[in-house]
Amino acid sequence: MTIDSLRSSLRLPALTLFGATVVPSAELPAYADACAAHGAPLVFMYGTDERAAGIGFAVHAVFALPGSGFVTLRSVLPAEKPSYPSLTRTIMAAHWFERLMQDQFGIIAEGHPDPRRLIHHENVPEGTYPLRKDFAWDAKLPHADVPYPMHRVEGRGVYEIPVGPIHAGVIEPGHFRFNVRGERILSLEGKLFFTHKGVEKLVEGKTPAEALPFIERISGDMPVAHTLAFAEAVERASCISVPKRARMLRVVWSELERITMHLFDMGNMGGNGTGFTFMAAQGFRMVEEMRRMHASLAGHRYLRGAVTPGGAHDLSQEAAAGMLRTLARIERDMKDVLKIAYGTDGLMERFETTGVLSRAAALAYGARGIAARASGVDTDARRDYPYAAYDELAVNVVTEKAGDVAARFKVRAREFEESLRLVRAALAALPEGKAQAPAIAKEGAALAAVESWRGTIYDWVRIGADGRIDRAAISDPSFSNWPLFGEIGPGNIVPDFPLCNKSLNLSYSGTDL
Amino acid sequence: MTFFLAILDGLIVLLLAPLTVGFVRLAKARFQNRRGAPVYLPYLTLLSLMRKEMTVTKHSSWVFAAAPFFVLASAIALAFIVPTAAAGVLPDFASNLFLVGGIAAFGSVFLAMGGMDAASTFGNMGASREMTLAAFVEPAFYMGFSALALVGGTWSLDGILRHLASLPWSAGVPAASIALVALVFVTLAENARYPVDNPATHLELTMVHEAMLLEYSGPSLALLEYASAVKLTVMLGLVASLSLPFFLIQPPVTALGLVLGVLALIAKLALAAFVLAFIESTFVKMRFYRMQEYFSLAFIVALAGLLLALISMTR
Repeated sequence: MTIDSLRSSLRLPALTLFGATVVPSAELPAYADACAAHGAPLVFMYGTDERAAGIGFAVHAVFALPGSGFVTLRSVLPAEKPSYPSLTRTIMAAHWFERLMQDQFGIIAEGHPDPRRLIHHENVPEGTYPLRKDFAWDAKLPHADVPYPMHRVEGRGVYEIPVGPIHAGVIEPGHFRFNVRGERILSLEGKLFFTHKGVEKLVEGKTPAEALPFIERISGDMPVAHTLAFAEAVERASCISVPKRARMLRVVWSELERITMHLFDMGNMGGNGTGFTFMAAQGFRMVEEMRRMHASLAGHRYLRGAVTPGGAHDLSQEAAAGMLRTLARIERDMKDVLKIAYGTDGLMERFETTGVLSRAAALAYGARGIAARASGVDTDARRDYPYAAYDELAVNVVTEKAGDVAARFKVRAREFEESLRLVRAALAALPEGKAQAPAIAKEGAALAAVESWRGTIYDWVRIGADGRIDRAAISDPSFSNWPLFGEIGPGNIVPDFPLCNKSLNLSYSGTDL
Repeated sequence: MTFFLAILDGLIVLLLAPLTVGFVRLAKARFQNRRGAPVYLPYLTLLSLMRKEMTVTKHSSWVFAAAPFFVLASAIALAFIVPTAAAGVLPDFASNLFLVGGIAAFGSVFLAMGGMDAASTFGNMGASREMTLAAFVEPAFYMGFSALALVGGTWSLDGILRHLASLPWSAGVPAASIALVALVFVTLAENARYPVDNPATHLELTMVHEAMLLEYSGPSLALLEYASAVKLTVMLGLVASLSLPFFLIQPPVTALGLVLGVLALIAKLALAAFVLAFIESTFVKMRFYRMQEYFSLAFIVALAGLLLALISMTR
C-alpha cells in the first residue's frame, strides 16, 4: 500500500499544513484507529504551540507505512483548555507521548488511562508547561511537592524493592520499583526523567548550526544518529541537497557508531550481565580500539562533529584504508569471541528464555530497533524510509523470533556483520567531490526517521521565516522502549533484571531531552 | 609445643588472608588481559577503611553494630581450629567437623542478621538469598566431610589431615578424592564465589554476600571484609592441604620443617587461588533459580564419596 492509496481508503481530508493532514480533534481517535487497521501504526506524537498564529495548540500523530512514508494527522485545539479524546484508549503506543504533551504543553488527552505526570517530578509546580512559547527557558520555578503515586501490589509475601535513582555502577540515574514474591517479579515500574536538559526548548530560536551542539549531546552514545536525524529534517525543510559523497560518508559514520555500540553491548551483556568476564574484557578492548580510531578519523572519540547539516566529516583515502584494516582485525577477533560465547552453555543458558518480549507486545507498545527486531518485527528505517545513501546499498534487515535476551544478542551479532559490509560497500562506492554543501536554513517543516543503533529516531523540525528553529520535536527510541520493561520484567527473577536491562541498553538522557 | 604450633597455624592464616584475596584478584585481572592491582592492595584497603568514618543508619539496632564482631570472631575461630599448615597439633575435640560447621554457620547467621537489621531492601534481599543457599550448602558440606571422616577414622579435621598425610597421597584414596571434589563445590558456595555469587559485581540486584555488606562502612566494613578474606583463606588452605598433604608441620618439629611447612602453605594457597581465579574467569554465574541443581550435584558427589568410603570399610 502506498501513502496515496492509504489516504484515499481512509478518506482523509485534503487540507494539509506543514505536511500534516488536518482533522477535527473529536475525530482524531477514529482516524488513528483506521490508520493502524490499514497497516500504518502510530510511531510518534508531538505538540506545538500555535497561539502566535491565533489558533491555540496543535497535536500531531505520525503513522508509518513501511516502504512508503508517513501520514501525519494534525488537530488544532483551543488555546484555553486544550484537550482532545485520548488515543491511548485504543493505541498503547500513544501512552507516553500523550503524557509528555500534557507535561510540555498542558494538552489534556481526555480519558487517558494513566494521566500521571511523566517528565515533571514532584518538585515542579502544577501548571508548568515549559514548551509553551510564553515560558522563558531560564524561568526559576518555586519548589513544589506534587504527589506521584507509584503502582503497588498488595498481598501476602509481596515485597517492594526500590532501586535507584543512584546506582552502584557508573550509570545514568533511574528509579525502578519492583514488586516481588520471593525472587519472582510480579510488577515493575520505572520512574525516569532525572536528566532533563531542556534541549527541545533550548534549540528554539537558534539556527540549525547553533542548535547542533545541543543535538549531539542528547544521548552521549549516539551523537551521529541524532545529528543525522536532525540534519535530515533540517535539509528536507529547507530544501538543501546534500552531495553524494557526504551521503555515503553519513552511512560510514552511522555504521561505525553502530559497530562500536554493538561491540559494547555484546561485551556488556555477556560480561557484566552474566558475569562471564571474558566477554567484557574482550568487548571493551575492541570498543576502546574503535573509539581511538574515531578520534583519529573524526577528532572525537564518540564521533561528535561527524555529521553536520548539509554534509559530513570527510575522509582521506589513507584514513579509509586504515579504517578498513582496523575493522578487519576487529571482525576477526569478534568472530573468535562469538564462537566462544555461543559455545559456552552457561552463557546461553542465562540468555535464553530470559526477558521475553512477545511480538504482540512489541507491536502494541510501538517498540523500536533491536527490541522490535528481536521479537520478530521486521522494521528498520534504513530500508523502510531510506535516508543518506542507504537506498543504494540495500540493507539486509536482521530479525530473530524468540524475543528473549539471546535473540537481542544474536540481532546485535548479525547486525555487526551487516554494518561491516555496509561500511565496506559505502567506502567502495565513495564518489569524488565535496562532502559539504552550504546549509542555508529556509522556512519550512519536515519529518525525518533515522535508524540509530538503538532504534528509530523521529525528528520533526519547523523552521521559521528568519531561518531559526521554531519547534524541534525529537524522539529517541528509548522513549518508546522504556515502557517495555513492564512487559519484559514480570515473570523473571530479580537477579536476572540487570541482564534484561543490558539487553535493551536504553538511554536515560535520550528519553529526557 | 603442639599448642604453639596450633597458634602459629592460625596466625599464618590470619596474616596471609588479605594476600590470598589480592592474589585471586590479580590472577583474575591477568586472565582478563588487565594489568591488575598489586597483590598487597587488600592490606592497604583494610587499613584505609579502618581510618574512615562509619555511617550507621538510625534505623538500626545493636545487632547491626555487633554483627561484624561476631562474624569476625567466627572467622578467627575457624582460622585457629581448622588445620592448614600443621597437622597433629590440635586435640580431637577442637577441630571436630561439626564444631567447625557450627562456627561457620554462626558467622553466616550474624552476617544475615546484620544485613537485615538496617532494614534496607538489598540487605534483606541478600540475607534471604544467603539463608536459602546456606540450607543447600549444609548437606553437601556434611556428606563430604563424613566421607573423609570415615577414611580417616576420626571426626576431627586435624585427625583426617594427619591420616591423609600418613598415606603416600590422598589422591590414591578414591573416596577421599571424590569427597574433595564435593568440598570444592562447597568452598565456592560458602565464600560467595562463582558460579553461586559474583564478588566483583556492582549490580546490587544480583548480589548475595555483598548485598548484606552494603550498609556497612569504615571500620565495621573492614572487619567484615577481613572476616570473609579469612574464611576464604581457611577453606582454600584446608582443601589444598587435604588434596596435597605434603610438607605439613607435624611434631616432632624441626626448624627446616617449620620453614618448609609455611612455604608449602603459601604455595598451596597460591595454587588454590589460581584455580579459583581460573574458575571465575571461565565460568558463567548461574541463574539463581538453578542453584538447587548445583548443590544437588555437590551433594551427590559427596554422597558417592561417602558410599565409596563405606564400601571400602566393609572390605
